[in-house]
Amino acid sequence: MATQTATSGTRWRVLGALLRPDAWRWAGLGVLVAISSALLIAGPLVVRQIVDAATEGTTRADIVRLSLVFLAIAVVTQILAVIVVWSATIAAWRTTNDLRLTMTRHVLGLDHEFHRTHTPGELIQRVDGDITSVSDFLSTVVTKAAGAAMLIGGIIIVLTVLDWRLGLGMAVYVGLALVVIVQSRHRAVSESSDEMGALGRLYGGIEERLTAAEDLRANGAADHVAWRFVEDSEDALMSAVRRERAFLIMWWFVQGAVAAGWVIALVLGAVLVAAGTISLGTAFLLFQYVLLIARPLEEVVHELETVQKANGAMVRVVDLLDVRPKVLDEGDTNPPAGPLSIDVDAVHFDYGDDRPVLSHVDLHIGAGRSVGIVGRTGSGKTTFSRLVLRLVEPTSGGVALGGVPIADISLVELRRRVALVPQEVELFAGTVRDNVTLFDDQPTDAAVVEALHRVGLDALAAAGIDRALGAAGGGLSAGEAQLLALARVWLRDPDVLVLDEATARVDPQTEQRLEAAVVELMRGRTTLVIAHRLSTLHSVDEIIVFDHGLVVEHGDRGDLVGDDDSRFAQLLSISLDEEREPDGETASSEVTP
Amino acid sequence: MTELVTKHPEPIHDVPAGNPTDNVWKLTWRVSQHRPRELWVGWSLFVVFFTMPAITGYFLARGYGALEGGDTTGTIWWAAAIAASETIRMIAIHHGALIWTKAWIHMQTLLRANMLSAQMASGGLHAGQPVGSAGSAVTHFRDDTEDVANFVDGMVDVSGGLVFTVIAGFVLGAADPNAALILILPLLGVGIATRVLDTRIKEYRAADRAATEGVTGLLGDVMAAATTVKVNDAAEPMLARLAVLVDRRRHTAVRDRVLEEGVQAFSKGAADVGLGLVLLVSAGAIASGSFDLATLALFTAYLGWLSFLPRMVGRVLARRKQAGVAFDRMSALVAEQAPTNTVRKRRLPIDPADKRTRSAVERPERVSLERLDVSGLSVAYDGRRVVSDVGFTVGRGEFVVITGPIGVGKSTLLRALLGLAWQADVTGSVRWNGREIEDRSAFLVPPNAAFLSQVPQLISDSVADNVALGPVDPVQLATALRLAAIADDIESMPAGADTLIGPRGLRLSGGQRQRLATARALVHAPELVVLDDLSSALDVETEVLLWTNLADAGMTVIAVSHREVAFRRADQVLRLEDGRIVGPAPRNSD
Repeated sequence: MATQTATSGTRWRVLGALLRPDAWRWAGLGVLVAISSALLIAGPLVVRQIVDAATEGTTRADIVRLSLVFLAIAVVTQILAVIVVWSATIAAWRTTNDLRLTMTRHVLGLDHEFHRTHTPGELIQRVDGDITSVSDFLSTVVTKAAGAAMLIGGIIIVLTVLDWRLGLGMAVYVGLALVVIVQSRHRAVSESSDEMGALGRLYGGIEERLTAAEDLRANGAADHVAWRFVEDSEDALMSAVRRERAFLIMWWFVQGAVAAGWVIALVLGAVLVAAGTISLGTAFLLFQYVLLIARPLEEVVHELETVQKANGAMVRVVDLLDVRPKVLDEGDTNPPAGPLSIDVDAVHFDYGDDRPVLSHVDLHIGAGRSVGIVGRTGSGKTTFSRLVLRLVEPTSGGVALGGVPIADISLVELRRRVALVPQEVELFAGTVRDNVTLFDDQPTDAAVVEALHRVGLDALAAAGIDRALGAAGGGLSAGEAQLLALARVWLRDPDVLVLDEATARVDPQTEQRLEAAVVELMRGRTTLVIAHRLSTLHSVDEIIVFDHGLVVEHGDRGDLVGDDDSRFAQLLSISLDEEREPDGETASSEVTP
Repeated sequence: MTELVTKHPEPIHDVPAGNPTDNVWKLTWRVSQHRPRELWVGWSLFVVFFTMPAITGYFLARGYGALEGGDTTGTIWWAAAIAASETIRMIAIHHGALIWTKAWIHMQTLLRANMLSAQMASGGLHAGQPVGSAGSAVTHFRDDTEDVANFVDGMVDVSGGLVFTVIAGFVLGAADPNAALILILPLLGVGIATRVLDTRIKEYRAADRAATEGVTGLLGDVMAAATTVKVNDAAEPMLARLAVLVDRRRHTAVRDRVLEEGVQAFSKGAADVGLGLVLLVSAGAIASGSFDLATLALFTAYLGWLSFLPRMVGRVLARRKQAGVAFDRMSALVAEQAPTNTVRKRRLPIDPADKRTRSAVERPERVSLERLDVSGLSVAYDGRRVVSDVGFTVGRGEFVVITGPIGVGKSTLLRALLGLAWQADVTGSVRWNGREIEDRSAFLVPPNAAFLSQVPQLISDSVADNVALGPVDPVQLATALRLAAIADDIESMPAGADTLIGPRGLRLSGGQRQRLATARALVHAPELVVLDDLSSALDVETEVLLWTNLADAGMTVIAVSHREVAFRRADQVLRLEDGRIVGPAPRNSD
């Protein structure tokens, strides 16, 4: 998964590709921004005319007419400003929402290994958080920067037309001001991340102590906690003061530039008016334009931060899009209908290091057989099941289903034919129906209800399948969640079933329901049961014992139970002892021979 | 005889409890007076900062007046005056902002300190109800305290804006009364719009946040269940659902942004609209020349600032409401859930300039334990009995083991005994040397009693700080570490007892955490040690060693255990079933 950091070229290409589908919208937005900048420039020109007209002597009606024009421009400018924000925000969200979906699809298509090494929180941040930074950039910075550039350019053009020296002066002033302000900003950013760190420690410390509140109360720690809180607060105070100091330096530069603009406009106006080069109105125009330019100068500080954030986000987006899955979907052969045999031929598997997880695995499992897979944690039984599901590719050797090499089967077909009931069932924030169909609209309500009945979740079906379930399994016990996962399988009707048995303790009644549902489900399918408690393997045909990545035993269950020297028989006797331990509290649910 | 309850602080009575919104002014006043110097100095400097534009604007007008009159030298002098007044304004904000930053943090620190100390208090009048989830409680420390500080901040802006507006009103009125009067219209509009829209913005923002949570919620579910999604080939239906959610968020986000921009456009536009109205009203005066360039410059310069006051008044009204809600929420953490307890006065020397000396840790007086009698102890949660009528007696130096299957109320029994079962109805009595303990949570702390919970919580501090929870004698510390059978582990660490153990102690193994927490319970040589289920994280050998150490130290111990080795050493074994003692557990008679 080694990825190179995206070069700025690819970054802009991705951004360009992103904007292309909405090109018209963005172009229209550009026109709106241009109009609104032009209006901003036009307003002071009207005032200039009023001043000049008054100097030369004019009628009241003339002034009223010009004032009404000015008023109209002021109103239209503000309405346009809202429209620009409105359409920029819509365009930005449309564009980035597409990117969000693309990214999510991409991430879901990545290997099991990728998801094993990236937390959901991190992925949310990269799929949603980073893209929101890009969206902020598109909706605010792009329009503001375009608007500011057009405004400044327009002002310089207008002034140059009036008198080239005014245009040149304004260009030099704006250029200098921007350079100084941008330079002064760097320190402020580092101080601000310092402050975030201090606040993080303060809040983190408070959270930690609230979590430990009972222990701390019981051990009389109030004074100690108060002391540490004072220490952490001092850090927060000092870092805030440092941040403020750095921001003030920036503030001096920004406000200094604005005030200098007033002074220059006033003095320059006086000198040029005295020399007879410009009119009184033009002198005042200079002042108004300095006022107008102050806003982009003040905003540039803030927006530079957004640019930097969006830049980092774009790099991460491109990096993530560059990650490629190892499991490729290139097959198109369909295995025969009905339950499938499983053939494993000389399979070796490791994670790219010298520690093999599976080695020399050769197995044949007949179509329609049910097989219990046992072994201690880390023996390779879960990895074996992932190979059959093609969540991972063997390092060497091959797996075939129904005689067809697994890589030759399309992933859609494979997912249709092979199903998994995981050890820990994940529930989604959604309705009961959503959780059974996994948000698929295809199955009918009747089919969903039927599936729930099949696994014994009659009460859930009766309460209505459009009832909402919480994300953390609100309203369902661990056992019920397991049953719900079985209902998912009922609905899919696969030909190969992998059951990763739950270790969660369920009450005896639910356990009986689970077992009954499982037996029902195994009928007519090839089933692998990864067993954590051996006592539940009553109904399987065969047993495979894994140890340190090797298959150490494979045979009919009946034969192995009867043979006192078999590994399975030994495991069985140990596990029964464990489960008989007093109180049943310390009994390990994991087989540990 | 020694008084068993030691803490008798007086509660505050002068501000009535009750609806905090009624008291939000009083409560906020108290918060602001926590550090009056920082507050008033910062406040004054900010008022200067907000007022200076009135002077700069006046100089600008005089400058353009001189320019119109052809007095170039005069103009330059006025330009110099502008530079001077702007410099004064910058100096005021420089010092003002620095000191106000402190004032801002002091205010929040007071609120935080009151909430935290209520949460940490071992009983007594100032202990607050424990919170359910620490994660969400942190928002009270971060966002709610900020809402209160924001309210004070808004008041500073309003007062500064008020002074500016009064001066500007006089100056403009003197220059052109009609034009000045017409300005009231757009300014009133800004105030009303801000007041109305600020509330609306909050609603829209909440809707946007909810929509965002919908998106991140589904994304989180999907990413956490990536394998399930994969093997069920459910990516496309999930994406379809995600598409609906992101589209909904687009609507809320657009609405939120547009409204916010609308408010800004309204107040920015008010200046230009105001100028247009001024020009319109003064058209005759302009034509006749009595409304000159100086007056126009005056209006232009002031108009940018005039919308500040109405905007801030509108905003501060909205903030007052938020501060009220914040006090409401914060009071859940303090004693009696009284908002007044969030603003209790206390000394918080967080400025490096403050003198700070660590005072001795306040502990109840040690009362030597001869006999502990528990009788008729019952605990119920929401009317459901968890522990029923439990009674037993522990003599000095005795080792009492409580056992029983999972979920029968062993932990609840210990918590109720120690006065830690806050949410429960607890009846029955606990007597220390025959005397009823009135406030058990205040009295049963070190040096009288210490407790080790089933899943002990450590904090990201040093080993020594985690054990001692305050300054400690090194000999005492070493003894505790040895008794808890963790001394060897600590010795092998790079910095010994000064080693930092990471957030929640996660740099240690589970067994080490358990033994470190045991050392914490032993460090003050308590009269009574209460240990909840050690066996889950300790191997048998360590548990044997621990019981031997405690017996050798002559400690009085009540412990939950399931191990034979504990039963063998015990003076009494109480077997709990369904919240009742079903008699002594069978003893091995070897």
